[in-house]
Parts: sequence; C-alpha cells; structure tokens
Amino acid sequence: MALLEVRDLTVTFYTAEGVVTAVDDLSYSIEAGEKFGVVGESGAGKSVTALSLLRLIESPGRIESGEILLDGDDLLEMTETEIQEVRGNRVAMIFQDAQTALNPVYTVGDQISEAIRHHLDHTDEEARERAIELLDRVGIPDAEARYSDYPHEFSGGMQQRAVIAMALSCDPDLLVADEPTTALDVTTEAKILAELEDLAEEFDTAVQLITHDLGVVADLCDRVMVMYAGKSVERASAEDLFYDPKHPYTVGLMSSIPRIGDDRDRLQTIPGSMPDLISTPTGCSFHPRCPYAEEACRRTEPALTEPETGKPATVGSERSARCLEYTGELNGGLDYDVTVRDDAAAPTEGSQ
Amino acid sequence: MRRIYESDAVERDRSDPFRPGDAEEGVEPQAARSITSSAWSKRLLPHWLRHRVVTVDVTAERTHVGPAESVPFTVTFTNRLPIPVSVEVRSPLLWTWSVDGHVEASRVPVHDPPDGTAYLNLDRGERRRFRREWSGLFRISDREWDRADRGEHTLRVAVNVADPDGKGLADETTITVE
Repeated sequence: MALLEVRDLTVTFYTAEGVVTAVDDLSYSIEAGEKFGVVGESGAGKSVTALSLLRLIESPGRIESGEILLDGDDLLEMTETEIQEVRGNRVAMIFQDAQTALNPVYTVGDQISEAIRHHLDHTDEEARERAIELLDRVGIPDAEARYSDYPHEFSGGMQQRAVIAMALSCDPDLLVADEPTTALDVTTEAKILAELEDLAEEFDTAVQLITHDLGVVADLCDRVMVMYAGKSVERASAEDLFYDPKHPYTVGLMSSIPRIGDDRDRLQTIPGSMPDLISTPTGCSFHPRCPYAEEACRRTEPALTEPETGKPATVGSERSARCLEYTGELNGGLDYDVTVRDDAAAPTEGSQ
Repeated sequence: MRRIYESDAVERDRSDPFRPGDAEEGVEPQAARSITSSAWSKRLLPHWLRHRVVTVDVTAERTHVGPAESVPFTVTFTNRLPIPVSVEVRSPLLWTWSVDGHVEASRVPVHDPPDGTAYLNLDRGERRRFRREWSGLFRISDREWDRADRGEHTLRVAVNVADPDGKGLADETTITVE
C-alpha cells in the first residue's frame, strides 16, 4: 500500500466572482521514502493540493470531493482532534515563506520544541535538547545559543533551515515542502536542497516537493507530476519526464529553461498565461496555448491516459499524460523532438 | 487591545517634533469601523427593499456571432442606495449565468454548492462588474462539448435567490448564432 494516496480530489473556492476550481479531480500516490515532485506555473493548484493534505483550506475554500488516504486512513473523514495528531507529526509541512511561517514573538527554539512537546510528550528539557539537536542537524551554527533567538535575528536561509528543523522534529512519514527555496538565493537554495535530501534519506521520510523549478525536480525527485489549471497533465519518473516528455505543456516548460551556452536569441516561452480557474477553457484546458491544438482539443477533455497503451491511467500507473494524442483523437500528432546533449549541464531540450 | 492611534505615539508637537503631543483627544479616526457595513444592511433593511435597490445587467460584446465563436459578456451588479446592501442568497454560489436555461452552458451539472445561506455584499453605490465568456459550445457530458445550433440563444444572469425574475435580480440578452 502506498504511504499517501490522493483520489479524485476536488477543491473549490466560492467567491463573489464565481466558483474557482483550484484542484480538479486530482489523483496521485506517494510511496514511503519516495521523493515526489509537483511542478507547474503559479496558479496551477500546487499549493492548494498541499494544503488540502493537512485540511488547511480556509473559507471560502472547500474540499468538494475525493479521498486522501494516509496509510489507508482517510484524512478527510477524521475529526479535528484526529487530524491535529497527524499535522506536524505524521505529515509535516515546510511553507513557502519561512519568515511568515515563523511566529515573530516566540523564539525559534520555542517554536520547534512546541511541536515536540505536543506530539511526543517530551518534558520541556527533553524538547529543548531535541530542538537544539535538530537546529544543529540542519546546519545552524552554535545551535544552543541560537535556540533563544527570535526569527528576525536569523537570515533568510537560517529561517528556512529552522522551518525544516520544525518539520522534521516529530520524524514525519511525509514532508510536504511547498516551494521551500523560492525566497532564497541560488547558493543557499542548493545547500538547503542538499540538506533536505540528506535529511529525508536519514529520517526515511517521503517528500512531496512543490516547485516551479524543473532543475530542482531533476536534482531531487524520483517521480514527478506536472499540474496545469488544477489538473495533473503528466505523471512520470523524473528520468522519463526529462528524456521523453509526453505532454506539450511539459515540453513547453522544459524548452523555457535558460541554459548556459545556448545560442538562441530569445528564450522560448509558452505563449499566453494560465487560464482563469473560474472559467477554464472548454475541452483541454491547455488548448489555447498548445501549438498542436486542433478542433477536437476544444471539444473533448482528454482523460489521463497511459501513453504506451492508450488505456485510462490509474493512481498506480507508472506513466500518464492528459492529451488526446494518446487516445488516438488527435489527427496531426505531437511534432516535437527531444535532443539530449551529453556535454550540457541540463539533459534535455524540447523544440517545438 | 490598545491601538496605535490611541497611544499618542504617532502625534507630534509643532515645537518639538520628537515629543508626543497633547492634541485634543476624542477624535475618532474616520476609516476605522467597529461594525461591518453589511451588518447594518442585514439588521435595518427589509429583504424586499434590498432586492429592489440592487440591479443586474448583462451585456454581450457581440450579439451576432458565427458558429462556435466565443461571446465575451459583462455582468454588472449595482447598488442604487447610498448605504451598503447585502442580499441573502441560497448557497455560496452567489449568482449564475446560463444559456437557454443551462447553467454555464452545460447540460450536465457543473457545481454542487454546499447548503447554507450566503450574502452578495455591495458597498454604498457600488457597481461590481465581472467579465465572462461563452465559448459558443454546450457541454453535453463530463468530457464533451458541442456547437450551439444556429439561431437565437438566451444568455441569462440571475442572483441565486428564489424567483430572481420576480425580484428583479435577473437579466438576459439574446445571442444570435449565424
């Protein structure tokens, strides 16, 4: 059994403007100890998916339907007391902006030890010792002295490390990292990601890493899900996704990565922008931006399909993509090549 | 809780700008409200009056379009009173648009809003505008859309209350597919 299984999750927000379907019929699974990447542009529904896992969606948002099974237990059926036992304990979260995630009026050490005291029934002294140990483990120098510092006395990178320490404090089975390095410079980002990888392996924690940086995914993840307009458009192992992308959106994302030594005059981008989730386009949500779109794409919503067999994908499918090409409904086909350059730092290039 | 404007910390004396001044107290800041404006509407205005002062208008950018051509349209809710108004609606889905009676031009249900009332809040004299687009297609199943037939189609917008037409909380326009 998978550690986490999300089935047909739909999350909506009822606003004055209309109903925003932020996550639409989403299914995926994460195995114990696996590093699972979720990528997509801003507004694709990545963060809402993460918040749903811990039932942290606030009004006017609502989990409309679906199941979130953690070791077979449906988190959506749990009482508030039961879900509180899961939060920070079995499933922990690293939020986007560490500065906002930390409470400015409590010391960093207190905030880490609070979770330990609450979930692990440690005494104050034991919790303090464990918090110091964790601060040291995530690379905060002179952890004992830093235990009593307030968040504003930490640099951005240190704050992020403190948040990681907090998330790891109860040895969770699953760590949901929502763009943990977005606010950091690239050198600190590299260090934090390496740290996260080491810690996940050391603690045997599964990681759901949400990012819009495909480089981070390539570096860290075993499997990847690409999201667009609240739906999963492709799911594959990281290697398959980079060497053999199956969805035009994934190809577009990859060809828009800038590379050193690239001789293109202009950076290739995906034309247009993410649709308004109140009124998503008919048929395939990506069709207005897709260079291979045909009339069928406007009229038929593609199902998540196994590209090799053309059969409907299940949660357990190794590979899946949401494009009419794989159900034989696209006449012109997908006309792109993937070139693998051995000498380049980045392994693939999609050309459209 | 003591507020910053009650602390005198932001007042300055003309002779010594760094010393808290002794300006007359008791002047309440105009912007701070201790009760939400819509709460007054809920308590003081009868429902029939709230329905009468709110108007709904739908305007299509084009009224004659080709087959499967998109029709952008604008929905405007206006509060004609100089005080805020809250209209009680039947679910968190405050209003809907439909074509020929099909909500969001779909022949299959698209939304399943939870039970419970909600409010369409409009500030004093507020005109709130939303832009939408009808693709010129009808959704015929969960995965399929079909072209609208040639001829006239009614694009209608209604606030989610019982009998919106009778309460003047609906409007419609005709789109001709040529």
